[in-house]
Amino acid sequence: MTLLARLDEAKVARRQQPLITFNGATLRLGGKTIIENLDLAVRPGEFLCIVGASGCGKTTALRLAAGLYRPSGGAVTFDGQPMLEPRREVAIVFQDYGKALLPWRTAAGNISLALEACGIPVRERPGRIAELLRKVGLPGHAEKYPAEMSGGMQQRLQIARCLAQEPTTLLMDEPFGALDAMTRQGLQDEVLSLTAASNTTVVFVTHDLDEAIYLGDRVIGLLPHPGRIGIELDVNLSRPRDQLATREHPEFLRLRRQLFDFIKATEH
Amino acid sequence: MIWRIASFAVAAGFVGLWQLIADLKLISPVFLPGPDRAWTALMRGFATGDLTGKLIGTLEHMAYGWLAASVAGIALGALIGSSRLMRIYIAPSLEFLRPLPVSAIIPVAIAMLGLTQGMALFVIAFGAIWPIMLATIHGFAAVEPRLYEVARALQMSRPAIVFKIALPSALPDILAGMRLSLTVALILSVVCEVLAGLDGLGHWVLLSARAFRSADLFAGVILLGATGYVTSIAMSLAERRLLAWQSTR
Repeated sequence: MTLLARLDEAKVARRQQPLITFNGATLRLGGKTIIENLDLAVRPGEFLCIVGASGCGKTTALRLAAGLYRPSGGAVTFDGQPMLEPRREVAIVFQDYGKALLPWRTAAGNISLALEACGIPVRERPGRIAELLRKVGLPGHAEKYPAEMSGGMQQRLQIARCLAQEPTTLLMDEPFGALDAMTRQGLQDEVLSLTAASNTTVVFVTHDLDEAIYLGDRVIGLLPHPGRIGIELDVNLSRPRDQLATREHPEFLRLRRQLFDFIKATEH
Repeated sequence: MIWRIASFAVAAGFVGLWQLIADLKLISPVFLPGPDRAWTALMRGFATGDLTGKLIGTLEHMAYGWLAASVAGIALGALIGSSRLMRIYIAPSLEFLRPLPVSAIIPVAIAMLGLTQGMALFVIAFGAIWPIMLATIHGFAAVEPRLYEVARALQMSRPAIVFKIALPSALPDILAGMRLSLTVALILSVVCEVLAGLDGLGHWVLLSARAFRSADLFAGVILLGATGYVTSIAMSLAERRLLAWQSTR
């Protein structure tokens, strides 16, 4: 075997290695076990959705993956390395966009915050900012303050700031939970096309089961007290997904039924 | 606009009333000059340059003391406010020192520093630091925790977090504290000038009163009032400029 072929093989093997792994990850906070013995592997380029009843630790799992928490037991790794601190290639989209944006900076200034942190030279920033605003559908809003924008626009802005980090992985914590149904569907499709174009790995936490199936390659349902995996579903629906056709597909309805039954069972 | 005209009318009414009382000699002219005499004294003071020098003296005391208080107050406030442990340990001591009347420490300051400019600077800064420091502590303690997580996710450096997140977030509180301190600094400038005989409007007012030059006395008082008013307006303008983003809420 030639060296090149061997290198190629190594590359393929690397690509198939999971990007994020939870190995028996446990998290205790203030004497309470929030997550216990969680085993999970997220493949590169995968869109993984996590659902579960409230208090099942889905947000906590995401914060572990982000490096915002350190596991009390077991390990969480990213690209083979223990995830002990946040890293720039992993971006987090918080649910409360109103709190995650700097109210004293304009839309352009908020995106600039990420560019500054990444050490992008001043003269390159305006071009990048314009490009990112266009990507998330906010061209012409560069000089607006967050308070002058609707909820949907603010969440788009937060997504743009996360994309400014040029992340390989996007962690999204109920990002559309506070938005109205129409805005929500628009943003779902935009996130799908943005992440597909850049082959970004996504872990998406939501309490909306339809949303999870619509977006994900795989859906994981957590059981509460303490959080652990209760169900795992592969979503074999063709992409690109369509708000009407996908949601009417028999497979979608079958998965939906299965997931609803699971959640109902956990609530008792 | 109507309200502004109305407020000017009220002010003019008070001046008219003052003139009336002076003209009727309800209070002896030795103690109460009319606005006309006070105005003449004010103009004469500026013409000879006597009053100008005193005004500059007071403005200097006020500005140096206030700036020293601002720098120290913001630095200490940031240090204490950004750490929960520091707040727990230091806050009780601050609560003991804060209500201490500054006039009580003036004798101490005079004993240690003498009747000097340094004493005045210390006393003014000591009095003016509290509103700024306490506002800064509050501002730093109230920074949205989510923003610190955003900073962590971006791996921002510690100075970057302070200057790009904590300080701008605390700025409305800090400016409110600085505005309160401005008045404190003016009051203490006058007190120090009176007590230590330092060049300034306080000294002018004291000497005028002792010499029964009531018109000069009132000219000094009017100038002190104007100083307070103008600095407060300047502060409002600065606040409006620095906090332009708040008007969009």
